[in-house]
Amino acid sequence: MELIIGGAYQGKTGYAIKKYSLRETDIFTCAEAPEIDFSARCVDNAERFALWCARNGADAAAFFEAHGEEWENSVIICEDISSGVVPLGADMRAWREQNGKLCAFLSARAQTVTRMFCGLPQRLK
Amino acid sequence: MKVLTCGGSKSGKSAFAEELAVRLAAGKALYYVATMIPRDEEDERRIEKHRAARAGKGFRTLEVGRGAENVLQLIEPGSTVLVDSVTSLLLNELYPDAHSGKADENGKTRCLNGLMQIAGRAENAVFVSDFIFSDAARYGEFTESFRRALAYLNNSLAGECDTVAELCAGNVIYHKGGTTL
Repeated sequence: MELIIGGAYQGKTGYAIKKYSLRETDIFTCAEAPEIDFSARCVDNAERFALWCARNGADAAAFFEAHGEEWENSVIICEDISSGVVPLGADMRAWREQNGKLCAFLSARAQTVTRMFCGLPQRLK
Repeated sequence: MKVLTCGGSKSGKSAFAEELAVRLAAGKALYYVATMIPRDEEDERRIEKHRAARAGKGFRTLEVGRGAENVLQLIEPGSTVLVDSVTSLLLNELYPDAHSGKADENGKTRCLNGLMQIAGRAENAVFVSDFIFSDAARYGEFTESFRRALAYLNNSLAGECDTVAELCAGNVIYHKGGTTL
């Protein structure tokens, strides 16, 4: 699995499309919902799935672990939301926690981890 | 050399950019494009702080709240220009009327064009911008459209510059190019 992380609008999806020659139909874009189509080559916006988990008492990393074999060859993209002020809303705080744990879990399992910054890739692993 | 320095609040990007600009200029013409239009006393104090920090370093200050291309003729070829900051220039271009808060749709392209023209005319250009893209918040469209526009500028400048430096607590992470200065 190849993991791409980074802040909002940093060029994560565009980089994945170029790097892995993805077509639009290869990308599953997560919604704030409990479903992920792991048959897609690329799972984008995993942070939205983490937000659903945060608001519904679910564990995002545990969900991914349970489906481990389904995404071992995927490209997974997740927004980094870790660096702001501690949010006032409890759901936003839970989101940071869910998202942070998910990113750490996926990073540990990934063959490569790339962080996008101003449209430029930085190899972290 | 064209350089983009980007980082969080108080990450040391202005200090890094100033030092780099001074060294790149190597005694030749050195301009500081100051972009903030002060709106209150806090802004005045911030400007004063920045002025004091760069005093005696040889900068000639050009105050440009908007229309960066208007200073082109003041910048002689071969000079070094520091623009601090892309963020406040964009803010001024995007919201020309601070009270109505109505966005000018062409603000971000005008901003990029102006900055690219400066980069084209100067021998060295150093741009300072902010990184505001990694927090856990869902903003309203007003804030979100500003974040999108700033990312557009940052990412475009990063593509054009030879060197892209992220500043973190005064430390430099090069994402592109680099400098031995």
